[in-house]
Amino acid sequence: MTASDRDRTDPGRAEKSHESAVSAIPDGGTVNSPFEVVSEYEETRRDRLRKLYDTYVYAPISIIKRDWRAQIGFTIVLFYVFMGTIGVYLIEPTYVTEGPALAQPFETWEYPLGTDDMGRDLFASVVHSTSEMLKMILAGGLFTVTLGTVVGGIAGYKGGVVDTVLSSITDVFINLPGLPTVMVLALMLPIHGNPYLIGVLLTIASWGGLARAIRSQVLTLRQEPFTEAARSMGVPSHQIVFRDIVPHLMPFVIINLTNAARRVIFSAAGLYFLGVLPFSNHNWGVTLDLAYSGGAHYRTGALHWFLVPMVAIVGISIGLILLGQSLDRVFNPRVRARHEKKFAESQLEEVDPDSDDDSEPMIGAA
Amino acid sequence: MTTSQSTSLDDPTAADPVVEIRNATVRFGMERGESRVLDDVSLDLERNEIFGVVGESGSGKSMLASAMLDAVVEPGILDGSITYRPEAGDPIDVLGLTTNELRTFRWEEIAMVFQGAMSSFNPVRKIDTHFVETLSAHDYDVDEGMERARGLISDLYMDPERVLDSYPHELSGGMKQRTLIALSLILEPDVLVMDEPTAALDLLMQRSIVSLIEEIKEEYDLTILFITHDLPLVADLADRIAVMYAFEFVELGPTEEILQHASHPYTRLLLKSTPNLASPIEAMRPIEGSAPDPVNVPSGCSFHLRCPLADEQCVEVDPEAYSVSDSSVSVTGSDSDSDLSPDSDATSIPNSDAGDHVANCHYWEDAPETIPMTEEWDVEGIDAIDSAPGPSRTADPLVSMEDVEVHFETEGSFLDFFSEPDTVQAVDGISLDIYENDVVVLVGESGCGKTTFGKTAVGLQEPTDGAVKYRGQDIWDLKRSGGDGTMSFDTVRRALQIVHQDPGSALNAHRRVGTSLEVPLKRWNPELDGNDRKSRIVSLLEHVGMSPAEDYIDRYPHQLSGGEQQRVALIRAMLMNPDLILADEPVSALDVSLRVEMMDLMIELQEQFDTSYLFVSHDLSNARYIAEKTGGRIGVVYLGELVEIGRPEEIIHDPQHPYTQALRWATPEPDFEGGGMGGESPIREIDVPDPTDPPSGCRYHTRCPEAREVCTREHPEPNEASAAAYHEAACFRTDDHHEYWNSPSITDGGD
Repeated sequence: MTASDRDRTDPGRAEKSHESAVSAIPDGGTVNSPFEVVSEYEETRRDRLRKLYDTYVYAPISIIKRDWRAQIGFTIVLFYVFMGTIGVYLIEPTYVTEGPALAQPFETWEYPLGTDDMGRDLFASVVHSTSEMLKMILAGGLFTVTLGTVVGGIAGYKGGVVDTVLSSITDVFINLPGLPTVMVLALMLPIHGNPYLIGVLLTIASWGGLARAIRSQVLTLRQEPFTEAARSMGVPSHQIVFRDIVPHLMPFVIINLTNAARRVIFSAAGLYFLGVLPFSNHNWGVTLDLAYSGGAHYRTGALHWFLVPMVAIVGISIGLILLGQSLDRVFNPRVRARHEKKFAESQLEEVDPDSDDDSEPMIGAA
Repeated sequence: MTTSQSTSLDDPTAADPVVEIRNATVRFGMERGESRVLDDVSLDLERNEIFGVVGESGSGKSMLASAMLDAVVEPGILDGSITYRPEAGDPIDVLGLTTNELRTFRWEEIAMVFQGAMSSFNPVRKIDTHFVETLSAHDYDVDEGMERARGLISDLYMDPERVLDSYPHELSGGMKQRTLIALSLILEPDVLVMDEPTAALDLLMQRSIVSLIEEIKEEYDLTILFITHDLPLVADLADRIAVMYAFEFVELGPTEEILQHASHPYTRLLLKSTPNLASPIEAMRPIEGSAPDPVNVPSGCSFHLRCPLADEQCVEVDPEAYSVSDSSVSVTGSDSDSDLSPDSDATSIPNSDAGDHVANCHYWEDAPETIPMTEEWDVEGIDAIDSAPGPSRTADPLVSMEDVEVHFETEGSFLDFFSEPDTVQAVDGISLDIYENDVVVLVGESGCGKTTFGKTAVGLQEPTDGAVKYRGQDIWDLKRSGGDGTMSFDTVRRALQIVHQDPGSALNAHRRVGTSLEVPLKRWNPELDGNDRKSRIVSLLEHVGMSPAEDYIDRYPHQLSGGEQQRVALIRAMLMNPDLILADEPVSALDVSLRVEMMDLMIELQEQFDTSYLFVSHDLSNARYIAEKTGGRIGVVYLGELVEIGRPEEIIHDPQHPYTQALRWATPEPDFEGGGMGGESPIREIDVPDPTDPPSGCRYHTRCPEAREVCTREHPEPNEASAAAYHEAACFRTDDHHEYWNSPSITDGGD
């Protein structure tokens, strides 16, 4: 009882605390309204950093720790990042006739995933194409989500002429025929295999859909009393959009981020396979293309040539999906509240009567 | 839980119960323990009675309704026994019915009317489809059933053809609720369970529906279980009342008995905490503390934590039902206070006589003395009580609105070039001055434009015509021109603030209390650093009674109760140091027992910060409480017009406009003295006219009982209504020499 009694207010205590509020004023003396209280301590840089750490590092990690999807997803993605960053220094790049043609996987330590028909080590080629792929994913994913959220958010919140202009631009991009545009642009523009540019190019037509979806969500959220309250306090529009409204859409944005990232992987692999994109090094798509033209699908003993890049693609895609699904819990205030430091310590026993887990049965009782 | 059903069935005192509930308990297993949301409740529902169940939200009263229909949602477990006795035939054990039998049982024998009429209809289907589907799903004859439906609908004062042919959105809230009542009666049930059927409606509509329920009950021979949080409302209607607290009945008895000799401390405190028009405001006191959590119901008497009478016995022994009567002080049931078995309080109710008045309190005899209903005041003297003096209204007004109009245009269809677009005249020519330290309460039905007008006053809604001036400056001119050196729009923005109706959505769900409260400080007090902001927020939270504040500061809004959320929203507005706050129904989302406390807090803060308030309320008794305590004025709004304004004494005791009189009639009052109240309905039409096409002349003439021919032609202007100061009304009747008095009445054929 004592635990749950604490969050009840009782007016008797209110009066006592009123006195204590007045008497607890640090410098004493002149201050007598709670609206004039200031602190006796200067806020240090350290305090500020600690608060930031609590909110942005500690809480998310402690939520993620308890979710199996997050654990698996994180492990997979971290593994790819490790391959793309440190792996390239550990594994020598491969070259033609490094080993025997079409060595089978798991036979020797020298070529753990086997070799292709020119004797190139497939493991090394997977590792060395990872970093390029990750750059594309990063560029493509961020580009889609940032542009989509900013354009959709501003269009939805501002309305009027701003909305008309931004929405028209969005509509133009939605209606671009995706693949042909990318092919034409890839040939026309001097991208020279720059992975960041390729990533952006691949998602050039996909941010429009997100912007439209975000705009429609913002249209309903801008009517909410809490945005009206922010407006009445004179908070600038950009802060209302990005601090008040967008956090409500974060789960949706995150799912779109992982989807955009997966789209980048698939279209990059597909376009490399078709030979449309310019490339200087081998990567997963190129390997697939070589395997196909080398007849790996009918030659005996060459199947691993196909499978290795495919598994690499599917693996990171699954990792991203799991990560995306689990991240939306990070943005749920009800879940957050249960995991943050202060609550983890003082409130494990005390869960609010209408916190999400038990709200279902309480509906009838309300 | 085994029940000796046979013995209770043989009970000779039980006259003719339709439904017998014995020891009904509903449990939910939760992560943090078992929660009992209905705790061993027993009840005999007599045939043809109206039985009122009163309780605050979360007291388990809706669960009682679900239990009666064996409709407790998964994973709840219902124990006990529920027996339904049809007029002819054998008793039915409701909990023993199969799924198919239950489907026939519900609606055909016991029907239910839910609170949210809006969500009880499928928005893409016409009303008649709902009736036809219900009839055919239960294998009734559709043609015959629809005939009955038409009869029902016209009995509820609606046009059957129009209603049946509309989509749900085409009906107003009150019409939808009445249609829902008709729908629930279509299969001719014997028992009707109504779960807060009027909570979402305006007072006037509430009152009208309550009187309809009485008529319907007589005509269709019904037994009604009426569940509500509003004791005065049900007091008018019910034959017997049960008061629920912490998932069980604390007091049960005939309505008059409960009102005049309430014996449980909770009932007495609840009666006292309900704002009403009759008792002086000094008599209204909040109940301290709040209702217990279903997992952690206190041992012994569940009310002992909040009860002024509580002692050790209350902590240790769960009180059973003591029979309250003047002659005998005997304890009903098996006896002995030491009986700690959980059934003890339950068995006593069935044994008691149906007319008996029982209270689950050890000290029911002392309750009336300790908690007097009528303290030092006597009823005759109320009218003489003056409200606080209020501010002087001679200086320049703080905010003044001149002929403000807000019209919303509804968009025409794509190819519709020629017809005029429909305009909703939300606010139509209201002028009002608000002074420093002033309080104005706007009262009116929903949809009459009071919120829109309020938002216009604080600069959140641009008027389509007229001017809103802050200290003499037109604020929208100021916004467009960007200020002229003496004053900028920022000053205005800071001076005019808002507190919303629903505190849950007024706070950003993704921000902690502390972060939300920091926003105004960051925006307007950039000289404060993080620690300063924190200390200030902490001291404020403690000031409004939320301690330990360090704990609250890190909470998210969903971890606060409704009252706490509203306090945070209020502090946030106060941190701006505003001159005027629009409080848009700030207490209507709170429990009845918390309302007075919240209003007191707002008044206290007003005195501290010299703020003015513009209150919006649909409840005349709340309006009166605020206005009387602060010396403010009450303004009555009808269809976008201010029809009467004045100090509470005049508005409550000497209303001049017929609409104000109707509102006064519709406000339910607990009737401590016995005897009837209310009388005939002073409105001719239950429904508000369509605001896109308001009536000509005086807008109220379609419903006004005093309307005469001139009212349909001429539009009355506000003028002095009585000798009292600041009292104005827009009605011809205030002018003794007006043409009105010679004009023929139009009310005769009006019905």
